[in-house]
Amino acid sequence: MTETLESAPPPSPAADGPSRAPLPRLLRAELRWIFRRPRTLVVLGLLAAIPVIIGVALTLVDSPGPPDGGGDGDGGSLVATAAGNALVLPIAALAMALGLLLPLTAAMVGGDALAGEQAHGTLRGWLLAPVSRGRLLFVKAFGVATFAVCAAGVMALTGIVTGLVINGTDALVSLSGTTLTFPEALLKVAIAAGWVSLQLWAVGAVALAISACTEHPMVVLASVLGGVVVFSVLQFLDALDWLHPFLLNASWQDLADVLRDPMPGGALAEGALRAACYIAIALSLAYARLSTKDG
Amino acid sequence: MNPKRKALAVAVAGTALGAAGLGLLAVPAGAGEAPELPPVGAQALVQSVLEADPPALAGTVAFDNQLGLPSMPGVPMLDMDSARVYYDGEGDSRIAVQDGNSEQTIVRDGNTVWMYDSATDTATKTDARSHHPREENPQGRMSDPAAAAADLVSDLRASSTVSVDGTARVAGRPAYELVLTPKPEERTLLREVRVAVDSESRLPLRLSVLTNGTTEPALQLGFTDIDFGAQPAELFEFTPPRGATVTEAEPDVEGARDAARAGEPRLVGEGWDAVLVGRVPADVLSGGEEDGNVRGMLDRLSTRVSGDWGSGQLVSTSIGTAILTDDGRFALGAVPQQVLTKALATR
Amino acid sequence: MSTAVTGVDVPGTGASTPASPPAARTRGLRKTYGSTVAVDHVDLDIPEGAVLGMLGPNGSGKTTTIRMLLGLVRPTAGEASLLGHPMPAGAAHALPHVGALVEGPGFHPFLSGRENLLRLGAAEPKLSGREIPRAVDAALERVGLAGAATRRYRGYSLGMKQRLGLAAALLVPRRMVVLDEPTNGLDPAGTREVRSIIAELHAAGVTVLVSSHLLAEVEATCTHVAVLHAGTVVAQGELAELLESGSPGLVVSTPDAAEAVEALRRNRIPSRLTPEGVRVDLTATTAPEVVSALVHAGVSVHEARRARTGLEDLFARLTQQESNGEVSR
Repeated sequence: MTETLESAPPPSPAADGPSRAPLPRLLRAELRWIFRRPRTLVVLGLLAAIPVIIGVALTLVDSPGPPDGGGDGDGGSLVATAAGNALVLPIAALAMALGLLLPLTAAMVGGDALAGEQAHGTLRGWLLAPVSRGRLLFVKAFGVATFAVCAAGVMALTGIVTGLVINGTDALVSLSGTTLTFPEALLKVAIAAGWVSLQLWAVGAVALAISACTEHPMVVLASVLGGVVVFSVLQFLDALDWLHPFLLNASWQDLADVLRDPMPGGALAEGALRAACYIAIALSLAYARLSTKDG
Repeated sequence: MNPKRKALAVAVAGTALGAAGLGLLAVPAGAGEAPELPPVGAQALVQSVLEADPPALAGTVAFDNQLGLPSMPGVPMLDMDSARVYYDGEGDSRIAVQDGNSEQTIVRDGNTVWMYDSATDTATKTDARSHHPREENPQGRMSDPAAAAADLVSDLRASSTVSVDGTARVAGRPAYELVLTPKPEERTLLREVRVAVDSESRLPLRLSVLTNGTTEPALQLGFTDIDFGAQPAELFEFTPPRGATVTEAEPDVEGARDAARAGEPRLVGEGWDAVLVGRVPADVLSGGEEDGNVRGMLDRLSTRVSGDWGSGQLVSTSIGTAILTDDGRFALGAVPQQVLTKALATR
Repeated sequence: MSTAVTGVDVPGTGASTPASPPAARTRGLRKTYGSTVAVDHVDLDIPEGAVLGMLGPNGSGKTTTIRMLLGLVRPTAGEASLLGHPMPAGAAHALPHVGALVEGPGFHPFLSGRENLLRLGAAEPKLSGREIPRAVDAALERVGLAGAATRRYRGYSLGMKQRLGLAAALLVPRRMVVLDEPTNGLDPAGTREVRSIIAELHAAGVTVLVSSHLLAEVEATCTHVAVLHAGTVVAQGELAELLESGSPGLVVSTPDAAEAVEALRRNRIPSRLTPEGVRVDLTATTAPEVVSALVHAGVSVHEARRARTGLEDLFARLTQQESNGEVSR
């Protein structure tokens, strides 16, 4: 604590207007924080490994044999198709992880974003800077969205690479039996990754809304886990089919649509709109909670 | 503004917006006010349907059933989610039946029919020269409302009242509702069959089967979206992907063998209370790896019945009943159980 | 805990240089959590350039008052203003000029101290992007953490954590600095350093609000004092005035302390032994009488001076009176 008095305040009553830190700087700081966190890196590494593990396992098993029955829930038959098809592997991996794993990672990031910061007392630091609560939520939602894109992107990337290494570029076959060129296949995977990112962002937004109401990131994780499980169960109850269009995961099964040729866009568009609705609801509730809660 | 009020306003606005969007998704596509169309007679409508050639189109067909059976994953026809249908207007077609995460693609290219199953990665090539395309393939036939509706209309005219009952919007298109009601003396479970006919192309867009005492169709097959217009030619070509198992099938021969083994099934009665009576090929029920499945499935679905015709297992659904006797005969129809047993008794 | 306005009418309440507007003030501040009243009727004035010590036992509402002043918590009733801006509405105007360490240091354990400050610096409106690293390094230097800057916060000792919190408050030149229990967890050397930082800030004209339950700390560093008890301000004013408002006393330095006390007791003058000497209560008597009584008794008096009423005495007395008053009401 040496004397560094030159950093003492020059009286500057003129600079009294409202001022705020530039938004890009906040976004950069948020991203640096998310991607410096060991937990985030471990999760991304894990996600990156999934397509590789599936690919290697399918290769080791060699001939997967005729799959029994077909359409068996979360990409069960997709995984079987993924053997010997470089296009299907990344999407099968995404479809499988979208069932539970990916939503949980989105929930983890959403939980850390507000509840975790609150628990560490770090949210105060930015609120006192000051960062207005609306901007804070924007930054947090942006961070969650970026993570969602990274999570889906990293799986798609390792999925493609693994598929290509195992099967080469000629085995790019759609579910409809058409052979695709490499750019076409890449586009399909990109669409799938983008769509999955949007769904994850919706989960993350819901996680943020819960996150704004609690100090415990584990509560967020548990709520989202419970929600995903309950939604999946509801999805199976035909008696509740009037409810199904309201459930976020109603179109998660339709990810396989990108593999069809020509690609039917209806279900995917519906799923995207549904995710957007969830984002609108969740972020507005999160804002309402965050802007009135004590910091 | 008071921050509490502002927060409340944002919460309400955002939630309302999102809920409205979700509500929009929940409203079934094609629902809406009945369009106004110039009146048309039932006779003329049926005529125009039978005459019209389906134009080039791309659409999605969905199949819905409320048969009252427990949901049976793995039973192919009941499990079909939807199918995408492409037609070039000149006989070539492509049907992609979506079944969970796999797909069966049927491409008719001139005289060749390719069938590709993504789940098994097998492609089957069939020479279709000798038969009418509509009878080529039961799956294709079910998925094509044009064929299904046309057949029904012509068959049922004798025993039904045929009328045009208002209009409807199907897959966003205005359509006439052609209604077939069984004549009072018909002994059937069905109340009516409705066929929605596109007002312009006269293509049947939707087939609904309604039973007594329900408002929701027990069975519905129809387009959920449809676009008329030329389709890219490459849709109607098929090259089996590298690595796929390719076989050439002769379905006609096989079908004939099946039929011979089974004994030709015959229709007892006519009109709405017609009952199909026949004999199940022995090896379907006993032997083969399917054995466990078929018997097990039956046990779960059926109740035991017996009478002077013998004894067997009865499967009841909202649109029809079926009996499989212990000695391997079967009878099925859109009729109550008594009609079935009577039909079984008339050997 | 009803509407107990400043329980003790201490001279000097609110009597501070009226010329300049206060750096912070609250009027009728009240905060309830459910049925619990955390803070009630707090009228606080912090003059520009003052170092105000906010004293109070734990749970007396110090932190809640500070959080309302900083706009972190919305008051249930009443108003608060900071640097002339109403809070929390004017947070964007006021807070860039205010550094704060509230409720202990809050940092991310997996980031180094420097990275933590960089993250906070990114949110500081008064820093341009280029200035941030420099400001961070200067702040670390100032609190003596330059050596541990790249170590993870997880591995910091309690004292280092506290210093990092202090560094965050000093990241930018401030017009006002709010320190909530700044010496928590610090060793005596650290405590001295905090005091010297406060003194530096004071010398530079910065308004400082320090809360503490350690009286010596407030006495050592503050120009003004506010004493909180059970959610209300029971006394506030300039430190010197508050000190004088205590009961008058005389401190006598003598080699025969025990004898002196005995002699005074015989003269019915209350007195007691303190480390400084014999402390004599002058409520019922005068200084010459005391001295003459001692001289008569043959006690040698080296020195007799007016006793400073220790802030500790004041603090204890005020809070004591407050609770007594409540009982009798």
